[in-house]
Amino acid sequence: MLKSKTFVKKTRAGGVMKIVREHYLRDDIWCGSEICAECKQESAVLQTDASIESDLCSYPHYVIPDTNVVLHQIDVLEDPVIRNVIILQTVLQEVRHRSAPVYKRLKDIIHEQEKHFYTFTNEHHRETFIEREPGESANDSNDRAIRVAAKWYSQHLKKAESEADGLKVVLLTNDQGNKQKAEESGLLVYRFEEYIKSLLGNPELVDRLALSNDDKHDITSSKVLFPEHLHLSRIQAGIKSGTFLQGTFRASRDNYLEATVFVQGEGEDSTEVLIQGLQNLNRAVYQDLVAVQLLPRSQWVAPSSVVLQDEGAAKDDNEEDKEEEDEEKSLRISAAAEAARKPTGQIVGIIKRNWRPFCGMLNLSQIKESTRHLFTPADRRIPRIRIETRQASTLAGQRIMVAIDGWPKHSRYPNGHFVRSLGNAGDKETEQEVLLLEHDIPHQAFSQAVLSFLPKMPWAITPEDMGRREDLRLLTVCSVDPPGCTDIDDALHCRELDNGNLEVGVHIADVSHFIRPGNAMDKEAASRGTTVYLCGKRIDMVPELLSSNLCSLRSNVERLAFSCIWEMNHKAEIIKTRFTKSVIKSKASLTYAEAQMMIDDSTKNDDITKSLRGLNKLAKVLKRKRIEKGALTLSSLEVRFHIDSETHDPIDLQTKELMETNSMVEEFMLLANISVARKIYDEFPDCAMLRKHPAPPPSNYDILLKAAKSKDVEIHTDSAKALADSLDVARVDGFPYFNTLLRILATRCMMQAVYFCSGMDSDFHHYGLASAIYTHFTSPIRRYADIIVHRLLAVAIAADSTYPDLMDKQKQSALSINLNYRHKMSQYAQRASVAFHTQLFFKSRGILNEEGFVLFVRKNAIIVLIPKFGLEGTVFFDAKDKAGPNLHFDEEGPTLKVEQHTFHIFDMVKVTISLDASNIQHQKIRMSLIEPVISGVSVPAPDVEPLAKKPKLDR
Amino acid sequence: MVCGNMAGLELLSDQGYRLDGRKASELRKVQARMGVFAQADGSAYLEQGNTKALAVVYGPHEIRGSRSWIRHDRAVINCQYSMATFSTAERKRRPHGDRKSTEMSLHLKQTFEAAVMTQLYPRSQIDIYVKILQSDGGNYSVCVNAATLAVIDAGIPMRDYVCACSVGFVDETPLADLCYAEESGGVSSLALALLPRGGQIALLQMDARLHQDHLDALIEAAMTACKGVGKVLDEVVRLHLKEVSVLTGE
Amino acid sequence: MATVKVSEAEKVYILHGIRDDLRVDGRGCEDYRHVEIETDVVSNTDGSAKVTLGDTAVLVGIKADIGKPRPMVPNEGYLEFFVDCSANATPEFEGRGGEELGTELSNTLYKVFNNKHSVDLKSLCISAGEHCWVLYVDVLLLQCDGNLYDAISVAIKAALFNTKIPKVHISADEEGAKEIELSDDPYDCMRLDVENVPCIVTLCKVGHRHVVDVTLQEKACSVASLIISVTHTGTVTCTRKLGGGSLDPESIFEMTEAGKRVGKALHAPLMKLLRQEESLGKTRQKVGFLG
Repeated sequence: MLKSKTFVKKTRAGGVMKIVREHYLRDDIWCGSEICAECKQESAVLQTDASIESDLCSYPHYVIPDTNVVLHQIDVLEDPVIRNVIILQTVLQEVRHRSAPVYKRLKDIIHEQEKHFYTFTNEHHRETFIEREPGESANDSNDRAIRVAAKWYSQHLKKAESEADGLKVVLLTNDQGNKQKAEESGLLVYRFEEYIKSLLGNPELVDRLALSNDDKHDITSSKVLFPEHLHLSRIQAGIKSGTFLQGTFRASRDNYLEATVFVQGEGEDSTEVLIQGLQNLNRAVYQDLVAVQLLPRSQWVAPSSVVLQDEGAAKDDNEEDKEEEDEEKSLRISAAAEAARKPTGQIVGIIKRNWRPFCGMLNLSQIKESTRHLFTPADRRIPRIRIETRQASTLAGQRIMVAIDGWPKHSRYPNGHFVRSLGNAGDKETEQEVLLLEHDIPHQAFSQAVLSFLPKMPWAITPEDMGRREDLRLLTVCSVDPPGCTDIDDALHCRELDNGNLEVGVHIADVSHFIRPGNAMDKEAASRGTTVYLCGKRIDMVPELLSSNLCSLRSNVERLAFSCIWEMNHKAEIIKTRFTKSVIKSKASLTYAEAQMMIDDSTKNDDITKSLRGLNKLAKVLKRKRIEKGALTLSSLEVRFHIDSETHDPIDLQTKELMETNSMVEEFMLLANISVARKIYDEFPDCAMLRKHPAPPPSNYDILLKAAKSKDVEIHTDSAKALADSLDVARVDGFPYFNTLLRILATRCMMQAVYFCSGMDSDFHHYGLASAIYTHFTSPIRRYADIIVHRLLAVAIAADSTYPDLMDKQKQSALSINLNYRHKMSQYAQRASVAFHTQLFFKSRGILNEEGFVLFVRKNAIIVLIPKFGLEGTVFFDAKDKAGPNLHFDEEGPTLKVEQHTFHIFDMVKVTISLDASNIQHQKIRMSLIEPVISGVSVPAPDVEPLAKKPKLDR
Repeated sequence: MVCGNMAGLELLSDQGYRLDGRKASELRKVQARMGVFAQADGSAYLEQGNTKALAVVYGPHEIRGSRSWIRHDRAVINCQYSMATFSTAERKRRPHGDRKSTEMSLHLKQTFEAAVMTQLYPRSQIDIYVKILQSDGGNYSVCVNAATLAVIDAGIPMRDYVCACSVGFVDETPLADLCYAEESGGVSSLALALLPRGGQIALLQMDARLHQDHLDALIEAAMTACKGVGKVLDEVVRLHLKEVSVLTGE
Repeated sequence: MATVKVSEAEKVYILHGIRDDLRVDGRGCEDYRHVEIETDVVSNTDGSAKVTLGDTAVLVGIKADIGKPRPMVPNEGYLEFFVDCSANATPEFEGRGGEELGTELSNTLYKVFNNKHSVDLKSLCISAGEHCWVLYVDVLLLQCDGNLYDAISVAIKAALFNTKIPKVHISADEEGAKEIELSDDPYDCMRLDVENVPCIVTLCKVGHRHVVDVTLQEKACSVASLIISVTHTGTVTCTRKLGGGSLDPESIFEMTEAGKRVGKALHAPLMKLLRQEESLGKTRQKVGFLG
């Protein structure tokens, strides 16, 4: 069985360990082309008719890109026009090594059948394998491997060339040396740009080309603007010796000449280094991993409070410099005056770029015919990017995506290329897309590779499944959810047992039955981490067939479930807990309101109602017990939009209302989560995925305590229980909203709850729920953590098998980091979506006058909460261009004295609300004070119903 | 972002090739020679890819050492497993005596007690010493295979060849005959020693966690792999006999 | 040490033979047995050699690692020796049975090879006082049939010849902190000059004569032996008397002279063989234990 292989050893030195690996060569690796009769492949990927109209290559051909082409031009390769491409193993491995995101995209393309991308395992093919030669660098050796494989293909196809005349292979490389050598050996070779430009009928592809090194030279002046970046080895040596610090670059949102580098230390010991000025920032971009060198103490500065935006258009470079020098000077003067100096440093090198495609808009060049334009990203922390495009006039006013290609030291701005257009700015669709992209939420349609793991329809429960599961179809199970919910992942039942006790079951959709570990669908779900709910849109974590059909526990269909069943007495004390995989058939899918009505309607007495009443009764007991233990009930105003069914515009907005049944479902979900957490932790003390909520540090409560004190109310924060109790009794006569406001403030003091792996941490406590252990089990359709928990639980009850990654605490820990990140981003995106819809709403409503409460007091502003809309806004008292009123800020209160009036937290104010659309990329809600009347500060109340104004488009 | 074993090595590519270019069920190249040393009663050298082992057999002979070892109904098998200090990528401090080698010695002993017809040599002792010269995964299996040849070379009757092989489980696929990079790449692996003719298992060892459902498939794959090894061993023995008979027969 | 039992009659036969310069296997007193040498037999070492001398077989593997120079000689690297007398060679070595012999052998090897006259230790220094190469020379005894020292020394010389030490680059920043980078080109490596590496010749006093390269049987007839390490120029770098018996100064002088003569003659064919093997490069068919 090994006869066909020659035997070659490959040696590579890593560290001072000599590692020797075997490398087998094979005769049975096929070329993947349809025209080939020699290769015994089962299905050929590359088509016979591989023609694309090109004025360079008039013959049908396959394309072989080299590594750098794939890495830099993946945007173009993804285009449906580009087909019949051979990806060499050498290239694939190098891409995998150099960039995980590009690797994933490349793999997605390869899986796409219509793309006809074929992976050729050239390094194990007897005829295309090469050995590294003395004096040859790793890169040169790879280039040679690519040329050898290309040569092999062209000869191999020539042999098969019986019917399809002149099928050829074209090598694409931007490396001059490689190209020349390829030409010498008689290969067809082009530069990628050359090739793409030659494609007839697809001129738009040209814009998407990343700039290659030669092109960059044309754009920029030769003047060196920035210090050279140090070589990676120097950086590493410097970090080791302590000369440099390694950290994440965080640009300032408000000041383009200022940034901080966050240096992660041991444990809590992290520092921030301030960076000021273009030279010191030295081409670092937000989120890059950089090396920073501290300046001598005498040169340390304080963060400036100036707001500086890089407004200069792409003017003459010299002029711009002058302006910038002035700006920098003013920065330094203002900084020098301050006493509170911070460690200040300069960027000496970039360890790892963290560039992604950025959303934003184009600033047209002032020269009409120019093809070079500046692009302003939506995220203010990202510098402006210079791009080249011929469709600037079309793109103006559109939201577009741009990727950075590089930032040479003689260029003021990074160079980039146009990736795609998202649509007209201000459109709901476009803005939603921007929102998703900017929050790094994976939202593309699921790839073919992912969809291939879906069950085949029509789907039915097989007898084998039935045999392995408990049959609970006869139980009176029902689900209670918000209206319009299509991904129902939980259902409940309750019935009286013969011994007088109650049996309560929580049935959760058995998603882990469909999503098997390690396959493409699982990997995609793990990467997405969570389903993201935006106003009027849902971005699923798993394909819709699962989320809204096979895994959704709809009424009157048989569904697979994972059940947690308790036996309880009437005091809601658990007597027995068991977990089982089951089959259920829900009897009803109810909304909260419907369920509430059934419970309240005393004439009803059917099984469902009885079950609901039993649940409701127990839930109340459970809730009481939980609160006695010190669980917190905090409030945050959740806003709901009534959306017009035709236009999908928000027509009204209201805060969410909670019913008894909401809390009923919640209680049992909490109980199930806690029961499951215990079980999986008992079974897998090292690798259980749990969720914790750390107690906030006492200083977090400062603002809450001060606010309460200002109304003579005392809040205790020694423990969750003390906090809960003191919040319960905190009341002020004649101020019914006070308690809610306090709870809102308390929410802001809390820490973020996070997933973690039990083997990597010792503190499991969930502060908010006052539970010693907690996890997420009840929403596997929309949260990946729950899928992991399902798998762990399934292994614990011997219903499913384990796999190495599940038991690997390092990998679990890495997964939790991703899940926490995705959760955070999804929350931000959700908030941003609400904010956008709020803007739309106010845009249609025009100016409104509303009552609100002061939530925070700042140095130059107050933050006002409008309870009616759950909307927060800032009322600024200083103005950019004119002299502001007299302000006096007292940190103790905190209070802000504006002229004669003093603002305290919780003061009631009247404001007018309008939409400020002066900056199309950053529209915001503007609030101005109406009452109390302060001359020169407050504004007269405008008419309530003016015509909706159209926002003006600037520029 | 972070996802599965992205960071590590890709043990099985989408095209179905392993790190070294083998397909899932393929063994490494096995080469062996019997009778490498003159002084010992039996000796053999065997390499399976880059894992190389020397085995020598002394005996059957009188019990050496404690008399309490004596068994009146059979011979005692005494094994020592050791590794050359330069056999691993990182130099080992001592060749044997550590817990791992002691365990290996014990496993070898158990394996060969199951295979050698010890009842033919009551009150005597058979020594099997195995040395790993170069280690690249599957040390146990290579030792067993080398020792089998050495025992045959010593002319000691066995019930059958003992052939051993390791298998791992990656992406729901069993991989035969793991190399070191695969063993250390987080694969749950299983080592199995088989007496192929009767299909009897002489040793089964598995240290990682694996669900019971996969065990059958894994053992099945291991048995197939062992039979593959067995075929090679048989060829080596037949070739050796032919050579020896040419030398001595005429 | 591995021994065999020899009867009185056999002893007399061997002694008488040697007296007449005719040994049991037909050799003269200063003849070696058939020697086989192969280098680069263990691919994950930096240098290796397998030597068989009659039925004696040794395998030497050398691994280079980065360590700290000894404080007394900050600008030199050093060699470490370990001899594994494995049970494969003889059941007597099982367990800790081979340790005593192993220690004796490695101590002698240390004396003979780890000095700047044998190996250019300065070339092993990477940065003085901080980093140097340490060569771990590990000897594995596979079969014992006498004359271990000679076989081991030849194997060590061959393995040192074969050793390829990866090239390193030292980068230093302004503060002088040094960083060692290994060359990523597997062909970019340093070779050792083995010109002055000595070989050991063991002479055994059997009866009134002394013989080289004794088998175990001959050894059983000898009372004492002398080991002499000799360079290619004939310089004696180390001598040592071994065994329980005693030697008179006269015969020590004679033995030394004979050792010099034999040792000097040993180097030239050895080096020729090694160079020949080296010149074959990748085309060489490796035999190892399969041949």
